[in-house]
Amino acid sequence: MMSDPQIIEGCAKHDRKAQQELYSRYSGFLLGVCMRYVSDRAEAEDILQESFLKIFFNIKDFSGTGSFIGWLRKIAVNTAITHYHKHLKFRYHIEIEEFVSSETGISSFEEDLFTSDELYKVLNELPAGYRMVFNLYAVEGYKHKEIAEMLGIDTNTSKSQYSRARAVIRDKLEKLRRLKGNYPAAD
Amino acid sequence: MESGIEIIVKEEQDDRALNELFRQKLGGAEVIPSSDAGMILMRKLARREFLRFNPARFNIWYAGGIAAAGAALALILTSGPGDSNEPVSPQESTIISTPASSNDKNPDVPAITDVKADERKRSSDIRKVVIAEKPSVRTESNNEAMSGAERSGTVVSTAEVPSVPEGGVLPGNLSDKSQLQSASGRLDNLIAASATEGCTPFRVQFKNRSLAYDSCMWSFGDGGYSRKRDPEWIFDIEGEYEVMLRVYGKDGKHSFSSIVIRVHPKPVARFEISPEAALIPNDGITFLNYSFNADKYRWDFGDGASSELFEPKHFYKRYGNYNVRLKAYSVYGCSDSLVVQNAFGSGYYVKFPNAFIPNPNGPSGGYYSNRSDEYAYVFHPVHSGVSEYQMKIFSRRGILVFETNDINIGWDGYYKGQLVDAGVYIWKVRGNYINGEQFTLMGDVTLLKNQ
Repeated sequence: MMSDPQIIEGCAKHDRKAQQELYSRYSGFLLGVCMRYVSDRAEAEDILQESFLKIFFNIKDFSGTGSFIGWLRKIAVNTAITHYHKHLKFRYHIEIEEFVSSETGISSFEEDLFTSDELYKVLNELPAGYRMVFNLYAVEGYKHKEIAEMLGIDTNTSKSQYSRARAVIRDKLEKLRRLKGNYPAAD
Repeated sequence: MESGIEIIVKEEQDDRALNELFRQKLGGAEVIPSSDAGMILMRKLARREFLRFNPARFNIWYAGGIAAAGAALALILTSGPGDSNEPVSPQESTIISTPASSNDKNPDVPAITDVKADERKRSSDIRKVVIAEKPSVRTESNNEAMSGAERSGTVVSTAEVPSVPEGGVLPGNLSDKSQLQSASGRLDNLIAASATEGCTPFRVQFKNRSLAYDSCMWSFGDGGYSRKRDPEWIFDIEGEYEVMLRVYGKDGKHSFSSIVIRVHPKPVARFEISPEAALIPNDGITFLNYSFNADKYRWDFGDGASSELFEPKHFYKRYGNYNVRLKAYSVYGCSDSLVVQNAFGSGYYVKFPNAFIPNPNGPSGGYYSNRSDEYAYVFHPVHSGVSEYQMKIFSRRGILVFETNDINIGWDGYYKGQLVDAGVYIWKVRGNYINGEQFTLMGDVTLLKNQ
């Protein structure tokens, strides 16, 4: 088995075996990242491939000081952003139900109630703009100011999109919860 | 009061809980890529590595480089004795750096040296001229500086230099020699531009206002240049550009003038409509604004209403074919607009064929599916999103031969159990799509019979 530094060194020399090793080790994780940023799997795999090409060609720029996995994730996220800009659509492709403000009685979401597949599905169904902002803010942990720069939008847009995304997600999760019968219907 | 605060706290907790949920579940989640994704990637990788310059690898660039170097060497050897006074090394390097077009480039090399030689000659001409004309021209140029726009230009002479105070290039007390070497003078009014400030892509028409001159050279500050008298230039990238015009007189004197062009980024209007499958008039439509480089917006909803909000919400009174327009303005007065035509068009449809051949073996009842009706025994539409539907078919005499309210039933060509005559029949259809949009269609269909 190769260690991470060995793989990095090998990839920097364009060694096929190291490249394959890197792919088999991290493609699952990176596809997991990509899947959050798009509406379907084929699109996610496109971004995954594009990310790996960037990784292979730029691996010599990886300083070795920070976390390698963090570096990989950042490349995937940036690729997803580029992809989003390229395919910015004027219209949504999926239906979002008109959001009705959810009751405040519902507090935290138990983690085990939802599978990752379900959460991916919730994200996949979001409008592209919402999905970008929510992912970057809630999961990746960027600040609204940074997100605004990355997406080329206003800081306030980022904030308002985030809160709307959250509202839509919350609504979807509530529906899912009721569907699963784990929660008595409100009222 | 207290309950209000409580709600806010709760929402914040919720907020965190929701983010936490996604971060925990998906932050490090793995999704296994499909098995051929890795192969496709490796193939792409191999292709790109091949096309990329990589010193560790012998590839197409190396092959090309060696071929070019060989060609250059051959060229030098053959043309060696003829132009021995030309410096060899610059020529060689020009060829090698552009191996693909080494033959095209070759004539350029002497051309460049020609220009240099020209300039050298010119400056020696100037020496004579200056000595001879200096006193008289000086007074002339004083007049000129005052007369301004219309009379600007004429032949610009080196003697003007001292008379233009902020000329910048030559201080007054220069020795004759240095004055001759950079024999040029700045003039303020040689250039007229159609505009000096605008947004990308910014098209500017320049005018050379010199009245008489031998040749001129414009450089636009972005790497572009032109030798036309009145060139037009398009600035694609935002920034500040100093556009310079040099005019050369017949006697080799030259002068220059410059102007600053400011190019701002163009605003870009972008928006999405939410929700996509809106039910009009029930749903309020939200317009999500993704514009950038803009700070003012004007929405035109297509039904006569408009708004200047960043992200307006609009209620349409009834369903219709609306063109929604967003115009985004920047502080520099530039604008961009985006129109989404028929923004609420559904993509739903009902379409009919114009002929069919009934089954001669008896009525079928008109049920069809795409599979069972491959012989086109039944006259029926292809459709999407139809919720209510009525079809009537008339003979040419106006007799109603068929009627249905079920889109899944078409006409099998029989009337009262009898196959009707071949010929043209008229159909009328009306109904509405699931979004409430109504349709009424009419047309004719030719009934054919197999002989």
